[in-house]
Amino acid sequence: MNAPPTFESFLLFDGEKKIIKEVDTKVPNAAIYTINKEDHTLGNMIRMQLLKDPNVMFAGYKNPHPLEHKVLLRIQTIDASYTPHDAFMNAITDLISELSLLEERFREAIREKKEGFD
Amino acid sequence: METGRLTMEEFQLVNKTDGLTISSKKKNVKESKAAEASIANCKVEIIRMDPFEMEIDFIGFNISLVNAYRRIILAEVPTMAIEKVYMYNNTSIVQDEVLAHRLGLVPLKVDPRYFEFRNKEETEWGAQDSVKYSLNVRCSKNPKAAADETNPDILYLNRKVMSSSLKWIPLGNQTDIFQEANMQPLHQDILLAKMNSGHEINLEAFAVKGIGSDHAKFQPGLAWYRLLPEIELTREVEGEQADLLQKCFSPGVIDVVTTPGGRRLAKVNDTRNDACSRNVFQYDSIKDSVKLTRKTDHVIFFVESHSALKSYEILEEAVNIMIGKCSLLLAETDKLIESSAPS
Repeated sequence: MNAPPTFESFLLFDGEKKIIKEVDTKVPNAAIYTINKEDHTLGNMIRMQLLKDPNVMFAGYKNPHPLEHKVLLRIQTIDASYTPHDAFMNAITDLISELSLLEERFREAIREKKEGFD
Repeated sequence: METGRLTMEEFQLVNKTDGLTISSKKKNVKESKAAEASIANCKVEIIRMDPFEMEIDFIGFNISLVNAYRRIILAEVPTMAIEKVYMYNNTSIVQDEVLAHRLGLVPLKVDPRYFEFRNKEETEWGAQDSVKYSLNVRCSKNPKAAADETNPDILYLNRKVMSSSLKWIPLGNQTDIFQEANMQPLHQDILLAKMNSGHEINLEAFAVKGIGSDHAKFQPGLAWYRLLPEIELTREVEGEQADLLQKCFSPGVIDVVTTPGGRRLAKVNDTRNDACSRNVFQYDSIKDSVKLTRKTDHVIFFVESHSALKSYEILEEAVNIMIGKCSLLLAETDKLIESSAPS
C-alpha cells in the first residue's frame, strides 16, 4: 500500500508556504503563482475573475498532477504600470465582494423562507 | 443587460456570448461597467426548502462561483463519521475490516459544528473532538420460536445487527452539552451484519470530524446544478402537430390550448422542468418550430442532505468556508508582498 495519506490534500506540510510567486523572465509583466493545497475550486474562480479584468492579457491555471495538491496560476498583464500582482490582488478582492454579495442575498432568502415557516 | 444563451441545436450546443474568450476582450471594458450595474440583477431565490432537500436559483452570478460551491459541499463541508474501531470480539462472518468500513459509512446525527478537528498525532480521545460508541450484541436461539419455524429472523434473537444497536458512550463532560437522542445514527434501520446462533460482536467505535476530500463518508450530502432551459416557439403549431410537440418534451412543459376560434395551439407552459432532450428533432414536420436554449446566468442549484446538517445548513456552511478560503488567500498574498518587498 503506497497510497499517499489523504490528509495531504488539505494540510500544509511543515514549513510549506500557502502561496509562492515566481516572475516569468521570458515575457514581460508575467508571473506564475503556486498556490499549495488548493484545487479547481479556487483556481477556476480566480481565473474567471482575472479574465474579467481588461488589463489582463493572459490568465490561466492548472493542477499539474492530481496527486500534487497545488495549482499554478499564470498571469500576464498588458503593461508594466499594472503588475500581475496588482491584477491578482484586485481579482481576489473583487471575488470576495462578489461572494459577500451572494452570501448576503442568500442569507436574506433563507431568512425570508424561514419566516414563512413560522 | 444581454445575458448569455446556450443554444441547443440538433447536433451541437452553441454558446452565443462567451465572455471569457480573448476575441471579446475589447468590449469587456464596456461590459465591466455593465457588470457593476448588474449587481442589482443578482438574485438568489429559494424555490423549495425542507431539511432534506432544497432547490435554489442563483441568477446573475458567474457559473464558476456556483461550481465552486458545489465542489465545496462535496469536498470541504465537515461532518462526523466513525473513524476508528476497536474490535474486541467478532465471531460473525463479517470480517473485522469489512465491519469497520460499514460502521464508517453510517451517517450520524451529531452536529459537527460543536466539534473540533482531531489532531492526527493525538492519542487520547478528547470530548471536544470525538464521539464514542459501543456495539455489543450476541445472537442466540429464540426459545419462543415454533418447532417448525424456518424463518431465521424469528429462529434467532439478534439475527440482524442494526445501526440502532450502536450505543453512545459520553466522553468527559459531553452529557452536559448533548442529549442521547442527538448522538445516535441518523437512521436506526441500517443493517450492519447478520449473525447466527452463538455469534458475537463486541466493539468500540470513535467518530471524528472530517471532510469529503479525506473520505466520502464525511460528505454532508449531494449537490448539483443545471442551467434554466428555455423553449421558444418560432411559429404556430396546430392540431396533431401540437400534440406531437407536447409529447417531445417533459410533462407540463408544453400545453395545448384551444383558441376561441376552435383551433388547438401549442403553448409553452413551464420550461423549468424540461429535461432538455432533443426528441423534437426526430420529427421533420415540427423541428423548425422550436428554438431550445439554456440561460447561462440562471443556475438551478440542488442540495440534498444525508447527514446531521440540514440542506440549507450545508449551503450556509459552504458559503462560510468559501469566504474563509478567499480571505486566507488574500491574507497570504498580502504577506507575500511584505516578505518580498525588501529585495
